Order: sequence, then structure tokens, then C-alpha cells
Amino acid sequence: MSRTTHVFRLFVAGREHNSALARTNLAQLCEKHLKGRHRIDIVDVLKNTAIALEFRVLVTPTLMLVRPRPEVTVLGNLNDTREVLAALRLIGGER
Amino acid sequence: MARSKGRRRELAKLPTGIAGLDEVLGGGLPAGRMTLLNGGPGSGKSLIGLQSLLHGARAGEPGILILFEERADAVRLNARSLGWDLAALERTNKLYLFDARLNPGAIVTGDFSIKGLLAILDRQVKSMRARRLVIDAVDRLVQLYDSASRERQELSSLHEWLLDRKLTTIMTVKAMPEDDRRSRHAFLDFMADCVIDVDQRVTTQVATRRLRVVKYRGSGYGRNEYPFIIGENGINVIPITSNVLQHPAPGPRVSTGLTRLDDLVAGGYKRGTSVLIVGTAGAGKTTLGCTFAQAACRRGERVLYLSFEESPESLVSNMLSPGLVLRPLIKRGQLVVQSYLPEAMGVEEHLFHALQALDELRPKHVIVDAITACRRMGSESAAFEYLMRVLNACRERGITCLYLNQATGTDIVAEISGIGISSIIDTAVLLRQLPIDGTMTRQLIVMKSRGTPHSEQFHEFRITDRGIDLDEA
Repeated sequence: MSRTTHVFRLFVAGREHNSALARTNLAQLCEKHLKGRHRIDIVDVLKNTAIALEFRVLVTPTLMLVRPRPEVTVLGNLNDTREVLAALRLIGGER
Repeated sequence: MARSKGRRRELAKLPTGIAGLDEVLGGGLPAGRMTLLNGGPGSGKSLIGLQSLLHGARAGEPGILILFEERADAVRLNARSLGWDLAALERTNKLYLFDARLNPGAIVTGDFSIKGLLAILDRQVKSMRARRLVIDAVDRLVQLYDSASRERQELSSLHEWLLDRKLTTIMTVKAMPEDDRRSRHAFLDFMADCVIDVDQRVTTQVATRRLRVVKYRGSGYGRNEYPFIIGENGINVIPITSNVLQHPAPGPRVSTGLTRLDDLVAGGYKRGTSVLIVGTAGAGKTTLGCTFAQAACRRGERVLYLSFEESPESLVSNMLSPGLVLRPLIKRGQLVVQSYLPEAMGVEEHLFHALQALDELRPKHVIVDAITACRRMGSESAAFEYLMRVLNACRERGITCLYLNQATGTDIVAEISGIGISSIIDTAVLLRQLPIDGTMTRQLIVMKSRGTPHSEQFHEFRITDRGIDLDEA
């Protein structure tokens, strides 16, 4: 676990299409860019409404990059890989 | 009438509790349905939503306020300035403020839905048995979508969700320029069962707020633009029925306070009609008005005196010289003098105060001194609006209305029009001063007295320390 550098929290709504897409897209992306050093916590807003409320998750899917800081929020099914990688600071603009 | 149409039944409505608005809506919001409130920033739309929610909460119908733009704390603080304690209602689960501001830094990639929001709401609606919902600044949510068809789908699912749960809902949306509204928000208008437009205009430095019901499926509604104010206790809408046919027929004659003037107008002014008294400064308009007031008070009839020219104190002391002793009448509550500076507030607020006084004091007669000063409420049209509305309100209530008007020029006859209201005035009395044989002579003539034979001559009069002394014809 000590090798984990990236922690994600992905909010989904049951098995709806966009939520399923986001899960797949995130898993593929992590496999390619963060192999063995990431963790994904999935929260189903239909079951865990209290957590959705706590994080004010209004739209699904919502991806939060919890670690490393600063936090990043990405809304949508994560279809555009380049855009997602840039948002998560995994390509370009990285110091 | 409803029965003859078979299955068509009276629409269930829930009151907003906002003075005047429920009247305009014929009872309130469509129950279990969605009402759209369009308005620019600062137009008061959010407050209308909050106030109706509060009314429901107090009446035992819990409500939820979803805030897409404002902070919940800011809303609580604003409410406190109107004397509303939201926190107390929140503690007892009658009200729930949901801070739903979207993270401004969030990045959007790919499609998404508002299922999260609906899941949170579902839970909250069930736990507090909510019946009312206000969604403030729904445009902020809609903006997330860059496709019009996705935007519609999501709004539709939100709408379906509301209807399924029978929530009486107000959605507020920022008014868009006409073009935008037609394309982007036409769908919202279409979805809603009731659509209300709210706006705020500034004319000659006085801000006026208005609302207009654009649509109400299955219900009649007031079709005018209604001015409203944000007063100490929240929103107050001023509805006007301008249907003259509804006015009660004028009653019997009431004395003008002068026996000889009574003779000139066939026994006195007709109760519940309007009288215009015009004259140059110092011609005796106020004296003639107060003579009428004193006589009425002595008969035990209450008079409301709206003064835009002087304070109650100065009116009382100025009327001592023509021998009118008003103070005891004021003390007994028979004469109520209310002084306002015309420019101190907008025309709505003036109207609100006047109409409130009519309803609370239930006077038999109203005197407005002087209507010329009403121009200072903002503009000629503001003055006209004020005078028309007050006059109408008086007619509806069978109240006699005396308007005093100061003529500025020498051609008083031309000025009798007085802000264009002469056509709706029943009786017009003109006072003038003329130098005759080296002395100023006061004259009075009845210019008009609808449906009444009246003298068509000038009559001389004097103002003595025992009142007005009018010559016989």
C-alpha cells in the first residue's frame, strides 16, 4: 500500500450507462498510467446518499482525485482520455 | 360551470402566502406541479420562492430550498433581516436548505446525469415528508450541458421526478435576452404549468418591481402587470381590479361641509365618487378639503388625509386661522393624517401604504393633498398610476375621494386636467383669485359634476376666521 500514489473516488448511479462507461474508462487509464500505485473507491449515490450529500455530488458520474493534492473534480463519463489525463495532471502542464 | 365540462375539475392550488400574489393567481400555485419564475438579478424572484416556502413550512407543509447559486448562510442572513428565523424551522425539519452550488473548478468530460441530485433529494423528501420545493437558479445546473437536447432530457427527468412526488415546485431562472429565452428556455416555459415573469426597472431614479403571470394551465389569472415591493415583512404584490363595472353605485349625497356649496351641486358630493379641487397656491384648496373633512368627522365618518405637502402638525396649525380645529378630530381617530415625502419611495411603496391604510382604517373619505406633488414619485406616469389606483381602490370600497390639485399658471381651466385624470373625475371644483377693484377676490366655480345639475356661475367667497363664507348665486 505504501506505493499507492493516486487515490480516486468515483461516484456512480447504479448501473446507468455513463456510470459504467466512467468505471471502464478510469480503470483503463489507471492500468496504463498508474499501474500498481493507485486506488479507486467507488460510491454508488443511489445506495450511499449520505456520502453523496456530504460531498455535494449532484451529477453522476463524478470523479474526484483525492490524492495527491490539490483535489480535482471531473464530471462526466471520462470519454476524452487526453482531457482526463490533463485534468488529473498525468500529462502536460506537470511540474 | 366547471361541472358542465364533465371531467374538468377545479385545479387544486396551494397559497404562496404572499399578499396580493395569491389573488393574482386565483388562489395560489398549482398544487403538485411546477411554476417557473423568470427574472433578472435582484428582481426578487428568489425571495418570492423563499417566502412561499416559509409560508408552507409554517402551515405544516415542509419544504426544501435547493440553492444553485447562493450560499445557504447568506440566505439565512437575508431572511433574518426580514424577521424570518429559518434556522428554527430547519431544526424542526420543516425547512431544509440544500447548498447545491456546483464546484466551479470542476472539469466536464463526456456525458453525465443529475441522478446524484435526485438521489439526495429523494432521501430528503421522504425523511421530512416535503410537500414544497424551490429550485433557485436552475439555469446554473442547465449551463453544464452544452447540448440543448441533453439539457431538455435532464430537465424532463427532473420534471417527471417532481410530478411523481407531487411536489409543489417553484423553479427560478435568470431571465435571458429574448433570443436566448426562445431557444434555450422555451422548453422550461413549456414544461411549467404556471409561468411568472418578474422584473425591476429604474425610471427617473425610482426603482419599480413588477410581476406578470404569463401562463397558468387550467386556471384563470390576473392578466395585468402588478407592481410589488419588498417591504419589512417580505413581498407585497399590489393587485388592481380596474373593472369599473364592479364598482358599487355611488351612494347618497354627503355634505361638502358648506351649505351653500351643497346647494350648487344638488345637495353635496355623491358618496363613493371622485372630486377634484383645483386652484392656485393660496386659493383655499386645503381649506375646502379640510372643511369637508371636519363635517364628515362630526357626522362620525372617518377621513384619511394623505398629505404630500406638509406634516400633520403644520396642517393642524395652518387650519387654525380659517377656524378649523382638527386636533381633537385627530385625537379621536376620526381624522387620520399621513404625511409622506413623494420622493422618499417608489410608486409601489406609496400605493402599498395608501391601500394598506384604506384596508386598516376603513375610512369613508380620502383626501389627497396635492396630486401635483405625486409627480415627484418618479414621473408623470408614476403619478398617474398612483392616482388611478388609489381612485379605483376607493371606488371599489365606496369611499369618496378628494384630489386637491395645485394649478401653476393663470389659465386654470386648462390645468383642470390634472395629470390627465380629469376624464375619470366625477366632480371638479375650481378656485381662483382675481384682482377686482384693487382687492383680491376669491371665486369658486363647479366645472363639472357628472350626472348632476349644477350651477355654472362663478361665486365669490372669503376665508374668514370662522371658515369659508360663500356667496349665494
